[in-house]
Amino acid sequence: MRRFVFSLLILSLVIFGSLPISHGQSAAIGSKVAARANSSLKLTLPVKEGSLRFAVMGDTGSGTDKQRQVANMMVQYRNIFPFDFVLMMGDNLYGSESAKDFETKFSDVYKVLLNDKVKFYATLGNHDLPMQINYANFNMNGKEYYRFKKGNVAFYSLNSNYMDKKQLAWLESELAKDTSDWKICFFHHPPYSSAKGHGSDQQLREIVEPIFLKYGVNVVLAGHDHVYERIKPQKGIYYFVSGAGGRLRESDVQTSPLVGKSN
Amino acid sequence: MKHKIKRSASLLLTTLVFSMGVLPILSWVGIAQVQQKQNSQISTMDKQTISAFENRVKNYVKLRNQVKAKLPKLSKSSTPEQLESYRKSFEESLRAARVGAKRGDVFNTEGSDYIRRTLKSEFKGKDRAQLREIVFDAQTQAVKLRVNYPYPEPTELVEMPATVLLNLPQLPKEIKYRFVGHHLLLVDRDNNLIIDYMLDALP
Repeated sequence: MRRFVFSLLILSLVIFGSLPISHGQSAAIGSKVAARANSSLKLTLPVKEGSLRFAVMGDTGSGTDKQRQVANMMVQYRNIFPFDFVLMMGDNLYGSESAKDFETKFSDVYKVLLNDKVKFYATLGNHDLPMQINYANFNMNGKEYYRFKKGNVAFYSLNSNYMDKKQLAWLESELAKDTSDWKICFFHHPPYSSAKGHGSDQQLREIVEPIFLKYGVNVVLAGHDHVYERIKPQKGIYYFVSGAGGRLRESDVQTSPLVGKSN
Repeated sequence: MKHKIKRSASLLLTTLVFSMGVLPILSWVGIAQVQQKQNSQISTMDKQTISAFENRVKNYVKLRNQVKAKLPKLSKSSTPEQLESYRKSFEESLRAARVGAKRGDVFNTEGSDYIRRTLKSEFKGKDRAQLREIVFDAQTQAVKLRVNYPYPEPTELVEMPATVLLNLPQLPKEIKYRFVGHHLLLVDRDNNLIIDYMLDALP
């Protein structure tokens, strides 16, 4: 029987965003920068005992220095904010997807975290071949959309490239029976975004938001726009854009009543 | 530089502390309702056209699954090398099995007409401006339209607008619709082969 009185849950969520470091700097410089930053890391998260800790990154798979710099910062921050897993917002691999590309654009970049048993849960972006669903390190288990649970939080990875009837029916059926205290959906295209690059995906929102509202989804995470943005709560749902993990578009967020916080 | 790093670090982290409260109860327009309305508008002739299209799709899926069955099974937790090898083997075997495949094998004249009409109704009006933006802003110029050849790997895959997908004939999970400019393609999910395409699907 579903509990109607929920206990207070503190969910700590880290959105790993961008580094405002100019293009063309070498990985070596990036490492030094990260090392210097380590001494001045600041954390305002509560890091409460028993809280669920995870990182969110999007649009990472460029294989560039910027991607490595963000990865370095993730490693640094994990020392003071020990997250157990990472959600990937899609565009996991830009360009070609040879075996070598999986190394240079993913497994080499996040080697320290992977070696430390940090799990990555991916979703597909518009630059990702669907075959990625079978890649062990993306933990998609051969599915374009899937659900997994951590404690009392349910996560739904959706394929926003292809939101067809089957996926919508699956989402509704899973959410309808989901008694988790927290429901978090993540996918590539943002229902709300103030970025100039793409902006809000209104036609997607038109279809999925009524389902989120009906079944009490609490948080929606997306990428696609290469920025960080926390949207002011929309109809009670917390929306985020985290797409600056590999290809930052600086100053791309426009002034908008939607913006809660951005960079 | 130090200042920049501090600033970036502060931007890097955001805390959310949520307390579970009363969930919003808002009006709900069911997807089923939308579909029901749409289905009731489809004529008997169009239903036959859709059914014939779906049968041609099924025939393709049957063939590709026969080819797939002869390949080594792909694990759901594969290495990049296994993925690359499997995709190439699948692509080559299926291309060989479909030698002679040509445009219009799946998208025949009647099916194409129906899809064009459906898309035309979806893509009109000011409120559909974003649909056009999604499709036409995508970087798909490098895609050569050739049946039984792969959709080029480094090229962006256009998001198929959900509102459009709800109106097009449904496809099995192995096949995806893809827009390239005004044209509509059928692409195999697991080997990226272009199964068929129709020109000027969009107005």
